[in-house]
Amino acid sequence: MEYIGEHLLIGKVGNVFIILSFVFALLASISYFFAARQNEETLSWKKIGRWSFRIHALSVIGIVVTLFIMLFNHYFEYEYVWHHSNKAMPMRYILSCFWEGQEGSFLLWTFWHVVLGLILQRTTKEWEAPVMSVISLVQAFLASMLLGIFIFGDNRIGSNPFTVLLREHPDWANIPLFTNPNYLEKIDGNGLNPLLQNYWMTIHPPTLFLGFALTVVPFAYAIAGLWTRKFTEWLKPALPWTFMAIAVLGIGILMGGAWAYEALSFGGFWAWDPVENASLVPWLTLVGAGHLMLINKNKGQSLFTAFALAILTFVLILYSTFLTRSGILGETSVHAFTDLGMSGQLLIYLLFFLLLGILLLIMNWKHMPKVQEEESLYSREFWMFVGAIILLISSFQIMFYTSMPVWNKLFDLKMAPAKDVIGFYNAWQLPFAFLVTILIAIGQFFKYKNTDPKEFFKKITFSLLVSVLLTGLFSYILSYNNALYILLMFSSIFAAVSNFNYITHALGGKIRKAGASVAHIGFGLIMLGVLISTSKKDIISQNSSGKDISALGEKMTNNDNILLTQGDTLPMGNYWVTFRGRRAEGINVYFDVDYFTKENNTYVKEFTLSPLFQVNPRMGNVPEPDTRHFLTFDVYTHVTYALIDAPNKTENTKDEYTAAKNVPMKRGDTVFSSNAIIIFDSLSTNFDRSKYNLKDDDIAVMANISVLDIRKKYQANPVYVIRDNAIQPVPSRVDDLGLQFMFWKVDPQNGNIEISVQEKKANVRDFLVMQAMIFPYINILWMGCIVMFIGTLMAILERIRKS
Amino acid sequence: MKKIHILGIIIIAVAIGAILTTLGSTSTYANFTEATQSPDNEFHVVGKLNKEKEMIYDPKTDANIFTFYMTDMDTLNPTTKKVVLHKNKPQDFERSEQIVLIGQMKGDEFHASDILMKCPSKYNDGKPQAAK
Repeated sequence: MEYIGEHLLIGKVGNVFIILSFVFALLASISYFFAARQNEETLSWKKIGRWSFRIHALSVIGIVVTLFIMLFNHYFEYEYVWHHSNKAMPMRYILSCFWEGQEGSFLLWTFWHVVLGLILQRTTKEWEAPVMSVISLVQAFLASMLLGIFIFGDNRIGSNPFTVLLREHPDWANIPLFTNPNYLEKIDGNGLNPLLQNYWMTIHPPTLFLGFALTVVPFAYAIAGLWTRKFTEWLKPALPWTFMAIAVLGIGILMGGAWAYEALSFGGFWAWDPVENASLVPWLTLVGAGHLMLINKNKGQSLFTAFALAILTFVLILYSTFLTRSGILGETSVHAFTDLGMSGQLLIYLLFFLLLGILLLIMNWKHMPKVQEEESLYSREFWMFVGAIILLISSFQIMFYTSMPVWNKLFDLKMAPAKDVIGFYNAWQLPFAFLVTILIAIGQFFKYKNTDPKEFFKKITFSLLVSVLLTGLFSYILSYNNALYILLMFSSIFAAVSNFNYITHALGGKIRKAGASVAHIGFGLIMLGVLISTSKKDIISQNSSGKDISALGEKMTNNDNILLTQGDTLPMGNYWVTFRGRRAEGINVYFDVDYFTKENNTYVKEFTLSPLFQVNPRMGNVPEPDTRHFLTFDVYTHVTYALIDAPNKTENTKDEYTAAKNVPMKRGDTVFSSNAIIIFDSLSTNFDRSKYNLKDDDIAVMANISVLDIRKKYQANPVYVIRDNAIQPVPSRVDDLGLQFMFWKVDPQNGNIEISVQEKKANVRDFLVMQAMIFPYINILWMGCIVMFIGTLMAILERIRKS
Repeated sequence: MKKIHILGIIIIAVAIGAILTTLGSTSTYANFTEATQSPDNEFHVVGKLNKEKEMIYDPKTDANIFTFYMTDMDTLNPTTKKVVLHKNKPQDFERSEQIVLIGQMKGDEFHASDILMKCPSKYNDGKPQAAK
């Protein structure tokens, strides 16, 4: 069949770019490999390598541009374009569509490698050949992820966004729509998940992937150093790159945390989710690697460990990719990608670089220069080494637990995560955080090689005293009584204070050299902010409906949700809250909740929070929180349950009654309708029977019911009638309140009755189930992030300036 | 003994500790039959929502109780049990493809303290269709 309006040429162009990018990455790697061997052919190999990498770079840019053209022009004949975009979407989200899918995110990663490769080509000088050979090899592997070709029968290599046409996609091939040659006229894209349509999706992935990409530089240098046996010369050029990677990957991870906190509804900035862990762990090992590289550059120790950690970091980045892309995480993560059938390929990729690293390390173990003398207990290098090792153990613990689905698969187990996963991680990581922050506090006061203990203690005493005092003060203000929390609070404050002290005293305020100290202050603040905002997180939306649910067992009590009925004012934490109503804007439904404080019995409105629901019948309805930021705390709320459509209030049904609610009552009992209090006062048999057209032999009982609303008291008198052995009750209405009562059962012994209450639909008020929590001092965390980032940049600039 | 050796021993000890506590503080995936046999233990039970039976969520009475019926994934003998979830009803619950419950049996009811849902909607979306 001839289809009308398809743009198949551009796909072919894109595909050519993909093939070129793969072939030339491979060629660059091989040429650079030969160029790294010093002989008379070196120069010509280097030339071929350079040009091959440039062609590879152009091809990657070609792929990116082609995919963008397809997205911008809504070429829905391509599965990728159809899957990730639609016509209604604002143009600014086209960027997000680009990297929403796996192919696009691999492309983003490849693109950053290209940018780094082009810079390294110009700056690495004598390291160019071996370093670029490694990077080109990595690029060849990444480019193969996009190839989308079949070898040996059914084994597909890569997933190609240019060759997979929507009408040929195995899932949709038999859809009748494609029997229409003009199907493109009718079709619209699937669109970007509305959850991802915010600015975070525009800035978070590029930052995180740049962080991922930067880890390839220390890796390539380490491999190059081992391969050319220039065991220590690689450190100097690799160091600024390593700390750049630490800064960017760190900020990328924290951006993820900020995104989760601002826009997702899991109630916090960090949930120890496998996807979060997968990027945190390489960051920890990278920080370890960076510090070990510093030791070695200055003192010659810890060379082997520095190599090992630089290599491990990159392998862990690949492992993260494997965990999140292979579908192996299954139920344990909220945001793992679905399997694109590339897990085998990813595994080969991972094992290849792991084995390459191990092999090179073993082969060169004997040749590495070693320092015979043992580090002094009073030397900076000893404690930096200890710190790096603690980071390594900490990341081991996180990775081992996160990899549970992998162990399940390997050993055929049925392990499930613990009930309180977050608590388990926190319990393990808190001591590590304590040790690391203590080391950060004291580290810089040790000199390389050896320090006079007396001098060391003299210098540290001031900061120690200040920190103890501050810790005492904060613990008192926050009423801490958990010893572990107090310890971590002390160590975090100590880290910040003593590094500040180091800048003002030891460095004499020389800002240029203060990069490391500033970064360390930032880290101390981050830990402090994390500690306080997490441990003192206060869920203020307790169940205040008056129902006791503790009877169900203490373990089961989970009353973190509050029900707000429109118009009612309920106490919540230090506030009184009123659900004012809902309002719809586009696909968003906002729930406006006013917060009041009470002064002298008058309510003073403080602020309004409008958590929302995104209504999207195709992709699922998702809640988005709303947070009020104050200097010392945040009030965070999100909707946990609400009706998608407001309760029925249209004109033609508002006079109908809702389904009856049957309530057994004894004399004096009270029930609530949405607008009134209903009290069963008494039964009477002696009343004016003629009003109800009763016959003489009818058996009749009347219930006297008081109905109270805020202004007035009403009477309702439903009658229970038995006529000819059948129950024929007479209802009673209170029209002002839209209530109707009927009375079906009566127990002649004790006079208990069962009445049915009905309300007019116009009475039914909207409601909302929500969660609200206070995060105290979370601003310390965000401030720490910024300080750490600035400090790291300062250190990098100083290092570049010096060299 | 060198300091590095002492450090090495500590590392190994902590690493073994991490492995053991990890193995010790896990729950187990199980079906309803297994959960019934050991009512004192907490399990992860994977299953599907039974749409024929009733679902009750009355936030006005209690926003933190939601009851429904789930059929577990036991291939030979799939069992359906009443589930009492001590939480709000998750939004979009009816659309869930698969449910993971965390909790334990109490009598003939499964009391769950937490729930994970796999929705077809989240990342794997609609199908191509003509726009209206």
